[in-house]
Amino acid sequence: MAAPEETVSPVRRAVELSVLLGLLVAFLIVSVVIEAPTTAKRIGIVLGAGLTLVMYSFLYRDNPLFKIAENLYVGVALGYGAILTWKLSLKPEIVAPLILDPPHWAAFWGELARRIVPIILGLLLLTRLSRKYAWLSRYAYTLMVGWGAGIGIPIVAHSYILQQLQAAVRPLNAAAASDAGFWASGLAMLGALVILIGTVTVLFYFFFSVEHKGVGGAVSKVGIWFLMVSFGASFGYTVMGRVSLLIGRVQFLIYEWLQVPQ
Amino acid sequence: MAAPRGNTKWQTLARYVAYLVVAVAVLVPYVLPLPLTFKPSDWAKKLYDRVEALPEGSAVLFSFDYDPAAMAELYPMSLGLLRHCFRRNLRPIVMTHWPNGVGLCKQLVEKTAEEAGKTSGQDYVFLGYKPGGSNLVLNMGESLQGAFDRDYYGKPTEGMPALAEVKKLKDIPLVVDIAAGGTVEMWIAYGRDRFGFDLGAGCTAVIAPDLYPFLQSKQLCGFLGGLRGAADYETMLDKPEDATKGMQAQSLVHVFLIVLIISANIGYVWTRVVRGPED
Repeated sequence: MAAPEETVSPVRRAVELSVLLGLLVAFLIVSVVIEAPTTAKRIGIVLGAGLTLVMYSFLYRDNPLFKIAENLYVGVALGYGAILTWKLSLKPEIVAPLILDPPHWAAFWGELARRIVPIILGLLLLTRLSRKYAWLSRYAYTLMVGWGAGIGIPIVAHSYILQQLQAAVRPLNAAAASDAGFWASGLAMLGALVILIGTVTVLFYFFFSVEHKGVGGAVSKVGIWFLMVSFGASFGYTVMGRVSLLIGRVQFLIYEWLQVPQ
Repeated sequence: MAAPRGNTKWQTLARYVAYLVVAVAVLVPYVLPLPLTFKPSDWAKKLYDRVEALPEGSAVLFSFDYDPAAMAELYPMSLGLLRHCFRRNLRPIVMTHWPNGVGLCKQLVEKTAEEAGKTSGQDYVFLGYKPGGSNLVLNMGESLQGAFDRDYYGKPTEGMPALAEVKKLKDIPLVVDIAAGGTVEMWIAYGRDRFGFDLGAGCTAVIAPDLYPFLQSKQLCGFLGGLRGAADYETMLDKPEDATKGMQAQSLVHVFLIVLIISANIGYVWTRVVRGPED
């Protein structure tokens, strides 16, 4: 469902348009006064600065300039990705060794033999585009799923389950270094205890075969607290990440567009 | 669903004020540098010490798995790590799993190598991008030259001085993955746990909480999380740059956000007390 259109009075629209034009002129003047965009690098920086400011205009309200920049981003990312796939994968792995820069006859068969299975599997995946022959792609998918599961399951079980389990159930005193002082050892043991309690209570919270009542309910509630703390930590880190992106853009505007010396 | 309560005009205005304050908080440290200092975190220090403990000439593999979208956080830490390696005359081997990150990676490697006066193929090698993800890691574990028969510039890797005595992943004492996605977990499972090298990691703040369990289990030997991790590394290198300056802005914004969260909660409770609970 489309978002409801915000009703804006004609006067407000006229004021917004005037402010927008004023900002655009100011942006161009600042860009030209600092350094005329005559080199490819400078043109790139001015475009980047303009698009950055346009993206942030969304904070005021959705607007046509933001929409243009948004679509431009999607288009450029897609085009860039397609060119890179050609340049970094298809060309060096298949086209160059077999067609553009083929080795001598005997070596050619060796190169082809090394690549023929992946080429056929890749082509089979492309049959998804045809309704009639889409079933052929199942062979490639079957191989991918079978190979992925065969290789992945033991590795993942070892690294993500057994190793983690080992770290969670080791003796509490093993958390402290032998040369650590009383307080450091105490804190390390406390940390190990908190991890143990957190692991057990959160696992219990996700154990649905027993009704969470009485002692079980209390344990499950402790599990919820641990989950809440974990969500809070994740949210805090996410805020930090988003603010870092803003800082990165501000540094770009200050040091590269406005050329303020560091 | 009940209609939202409260004065929406005031709420909209409050939103604009919040944006404005955040903008000012980010800009202030660039106009008036603040006397804020911070101590590097233990996990950042462990990664620094691991690099410091490597004998001169050791190979260090860097997998820079990010693109320009994560540049603000990960570029400064990559810069710091490469500078540290070149300063210590180590041999960085640089690659990426992200095709969109190749240009950034190349710029990073060439910039730091030029600063240190190092030569491609001799003192370091830039392998570029290869598709495959976890398959590529397994392949590198069998034969590095088999996985990358040429470097990014098209030179054969066989017999390259920068790769002397490095035939497979287990010949590399330290691998560092700087990631904006799930590649650290992939390096742990398919690389470190299988081939037995030390693995350090740097990542965006968003995915940092996912990696703490691997620190506790010692599957990671050191860790840099977000802009703070990058600033930690700059501090230890005694070369404060973008990340250190960025952390001043970060700190101011965090103070404002804490005040905002507390005041918003007080406002919420106050509204419930005055107007009673919602239907």
